Amino acid sequence: MMLLSMLYTFFKIGLFSFGGGYAVLAMIQQEVVIKNAWLTDTEFMEVVAISQMTPGPIAINAATFIGYQKAGIPGSLLCTLGVILPSILVMMIITISYLKLKNLPCFQQIFKRLRLVSVGLIAAALIMVLGNAVQSLFAVVVFLVSFIATWKFKLNPFTLLIAVAIFGAIFGSA
Amino acid sequence: MLLQIFLTFLKIGAFTIGGGYAMIPLIKREVCSRHGWITEEEFLDGLAAAHSAPGSIAVNISIYTGYHVRGKSGMLMAVLGTILPSTLIILMIAMLFSQYADQAVVRRAFSALKPAVVALIAVPLIQLAKKSGLTLKNAWYPLAVAILVGFVGISPVYLILLTIVYAIWESRR
Repeated sequence: MMLLSMLYTFFKIGLFSFGGGYAVLAMIQQEVVIKNAWLTDTEFMEVVAISQMTPGPIAINAATFIGYQKAGIPGSLLCTLGVILPSILVMMIITISYLKLKNLPCFQQIFKRLRLVSVGLIAAALIMVLGNAVQSLFAVVVFLVSFIATWKFKLNPFTLLIAVAIFGAIFGSA
Repeated sequence: MLLQIFLTFLKIGAFTIGGGYAMIPLIKREVCSRHGWITEEEFLDGLAAAHSAPGSIAVNISIYTGYHVRGKSGMLMAVLGTILPSTLIILMIAMLFSQYADQAVVRRAFSALKPAVVALIAVPLIQLAKKSGLTLKNAWYPLAVAILVGFVGISPVYLILLTIVYAIWESRR
């Protein structure tokens, strides 16, 4: 039962993850933390951090990781399958019919609107993680430095997170 | 040929750290210039399609290319190649993590990683807001989505479905 409900949940996450990596975080949090309580807020942040330090898309990494934590290797394989299955199905249809569809006004309007939704969804993910993750002066400083390094100096997430992990291991609080 | 598709996307999958957009130039070089599987125009069309479909850009573009080159079996090889490196690495980390999660040094590292991740979410929010055609007139829309999902706890599923229906209605007016 657990395996089936994980497959279903990650299929749903995959199906409704428009607009790339960060917009899907709100969806994962909603399903995995709030609805099914498979992870706590803190564990969710850990999964996001680990997903960003490893190659591959966040949604797939999160699916593999959460699946393993909850149901071992079968769980991780099923969750990964669940999250990519909608992509495969929809992309196949689009690849076959996209060139015919792309000039339809309603098709273009849908994506114009969905882009705005993606912005809202990233903001929602930010709202949900902010309170949990930025509570101390130390956290505020790390947040601001990371923000400036990524925003102004275009540091890539991998380099930033490795540096932050080392910094935290020395100066952080357990 | 199938093996070559698999190996090419395996390489692409292994080198995308930090999200989909970073791998677009790499994919383009591999599938257009190096192997000549698809033309640049086809690649750009595929990219637009990859943006429209649910899921990650990298996986979607690999599905598109694989299907173009060799039909369904090409598609499966491409997807498998793209996700295999990250799946194996994440699986290894997940196994190790459950053993070391309670170590003080791991906890200290994560005390700093958590606020850094928040910053990583904040930056693309600003970048995407600029690129999404956000104006004062339509800003209520993402704002409403953020409040409904972030504070009220409504599932994004309903808002996405509602948006699609709304957009179809808008274009029919």
